Amino acid sequence: MNKEESKYYPSDVSIRLWQKFKAGDSDAMGKLAQIHYRSLYNYATKFSSDPDFIRDAIQELYMDLWERRTFLNETAFVKSYLLKALRHRLIKESIRLKRFQQPESAFFDGNESDPSVEVHIIEDENNRHQQGRLKQIISLLSKRQQEIIYLRFYQNLDHEDISNVMGLGRRSVANLLYRTLKEIKEIWTPAAFFWLVTLGSWFFSIGL
Amino acid sequence: MINYRSFSVEELATDEMFRRWIMDPTPEIAFFWNRWTDENPDKVVTVNLARELVLSVQSIYSDDLTDEMLRREIEEITRMAEERKHHRRLNAYLPAIWKAAAVIVLIAGLGVLYFTSKQIEKKQVTSIPTIEIPALEVRTNATTHEVTVLLSDNSVATLAKGSSISYPKNFAQNERRVYLKGEAFFDVSKNENQPFLVYTNETVTKVLGTSFRIKAFDEDNTVLVAVKTGRVSVFPKTEYEHTEEKRGHAGVILSPNEQAIFNRKENRLERGSVQRPEILVESIVRRTQVFDDKPVAEVFILLQKEYGIQIQYNADLLAQCRISAQFDDETLKQRMNAICQAIGATYEMMDGEVVISSRGCN
Repeated sequence: MNKEESKYYPSDVSIRLWQKFKAGDSDAMGKLAQIHYRSLYNYATKFSSDPDFIRDAIQELYMDLWERRTFLNETAFVKSYLLKALRHRLIKESIRLKRFQQPESAFFDGNESDPSVEVHIIEDENNRHQQGRLKQIISLLSKRQQEIIYLRFYQNLDHEDISNVMGLGRRSVANLLYRTLKEIKEIWTPAAFFWLVTLGSWFFSIGL
Repeated sequence: MINYRSFSVEELATDEMFRRWIMDPTPEIAFFWNRWTDENPDKVVTVNLARELVLSVQSIYSDDLTDEMLRREIEEITRMAEERKHHRRLNAYLPAIWKAAAVIVLIAGLGVLYFTSKQIEKKQVTSIPTIEIPALEVRTNATTHEVTVLLSDNSVATLAKGSSISYPKNFAQNERRVYLKGEAFFDVSKNENQPFLVYTNETVTKVLGTSFRIKAFDEDNTVLVAVKTGRVSVFPKTEYEHTEEKRGHAGVILSPNEQAIFNRKENRLERGSVQRPEILVESIVRRTQVFDDKPVAEVFILLQKEYGIQIQYNADLLAQCRISAQFDDETLKQRMNAICQAIGATYEMMDGEVVISSRGCN
C-alpha cells in the first residue's frame, strides 16, 4: 500500500484496540498512548525543559481525548494530529506561564528572527574542520528552520503532515524545507567534498 | 523494486528502510544495504550524507526519556483514564442537536455501564483465568472462481480455486497470523506495530502492509511468493521458528516485482524478479467497473455482486451521495478507499462484512 493510501485510512491503531478504547477500556487508552508517547515527549522537550510540565501536558492531551472518546475517529491518534495538538497546548501553556517566570530558551519557541547562518559560520570559522559539523550547522539555523528539519528527519513526517503540525500551507512547507536544505548543503557539502578529495589524494600518495 | 539509485539525500534520509539500517538494523536490512552499497559504489557520497544527516538530527534532538519513565507514564495515563472513566467532555463546536443527542447517549451509556459493571463484578468472582486461544475461521474455495475473504484488520485475501485459508475472527494484539494452503493474493492493511504473517507448510511470509501473491499447493515442489507493492520478508518455516538473531540471513527481503521460490526438496529460498507479471493482480479475471455519476448505493450493490461480499451501510444517510469512477486493475481495498474518500466516509471489515461509516452527503 502506498503512502497516500494509508492517509485515507489511518492505521496507527488496530480496530480491536479502537473498539476497546471507544467502549471505555482504560488499558486500551494506555496502549494507544504508548504508540506515539516517545515522539510526543521528544517534541515537547523542544518547547520546554521542564519534565513535569511536559508530562502534565501529554497526560492532559490524552485525558482530553479520553473524555471525548465517543465523538472521536481514529485520525485523532495519527501522529501528526497528536503532535499538532500538543504543540498548541505547549505554546498556550508556556505563554500563560511566562507572565510569572523568566522565559526559557527552548528550541522552537517564539518567532524571533535569527541572523543568517552564514554570519554564525564565519564567526565560527576556527572550528571549521572539527567533527559534528553538520550538527553545528543545524543548531545555528533559525528556530523555524530547525523545527522543519526536526519534523522531517527526526519525526520522519512527510510534507503534508508537517504543514498540518506547523499550521503552514503545503507550498510554504515545500519552500521552507527546500531553502533550508539548500542552505545546509551549501555550507556542508563543500566540506564533505573537501574531505573526500583530501582522503583521495592521501590514498593516492600512499600508493593505494 | 524501489530504485534507490535515483534517491536524493533527503529521500534516502526519510526512507523507512534506510533509517532502520542506520538506527536499528535487523540482519536482513543490514544485509540488503551492505550489498546495495557494494553494488553502487558511485552512491557513496549520497549514502554518507544521508547517514550523517539522520545521525546528526537524532543526536541533536535526543531526549532523556528512559524505558522505565515511559512505562511509569503509561501506567499513570491508564490509571487516570480509569479514574476519569465517567467524565465526558462535549465538543464545544457541536451543534445543539448533537449535544442533545450526546446527552441521551451519555445517559444510556451510563446505564449500560452500570449494569455491565455489575455483571463484570459477578463474573470476576467465578471465572478462572484462562489463556486466550483465538478459534480459527476456515474458508475453503471449492468453486471454480476466485473468492474474496475479508479479514478483521481490513486486509483482503483473494483465494484461488482449490485453496483454503485459516484466520482468527479477530487478530492478536502483537501479530496478524493466517495459514494458507494453495494460492491467494493478499492486500494487507498497513500496521507497523502488528506484522502480518502468512504461514504455509514450509514458509513464513512477514509483511507490515503490502500486496503480494503466494502459491503453495501441496502437490507442487515449490512455494512461490511474488510482491506487487511494499516490502515482504520470506523465511523457511524451520528458520523462522528460531530466535530473531539466529534467523540471520536465512530469510530474503523482496521489493515490488521480485519473487522468492522456496524449493521444498532443498529447503532453500531463491530470490529473483517476477517471471510472469500477470500474476501480480488481485483477481486473475478482469474486474473492470465504470460508474458515471451513480448513486453510491448502486455502486455498493455492484461491488457486492462482483466480489461476492456483503457491504453494510445506512441507505438513508447515503441517499444523496453520487460516485463517478473507473476501476480496472484496482484492488478491492483501493476501490473502497477511493469511494469512501469521495463521499467522506470510512469503512471497516467486521465479521466478514464491510461496514461503512458516514455522515452523509449534501
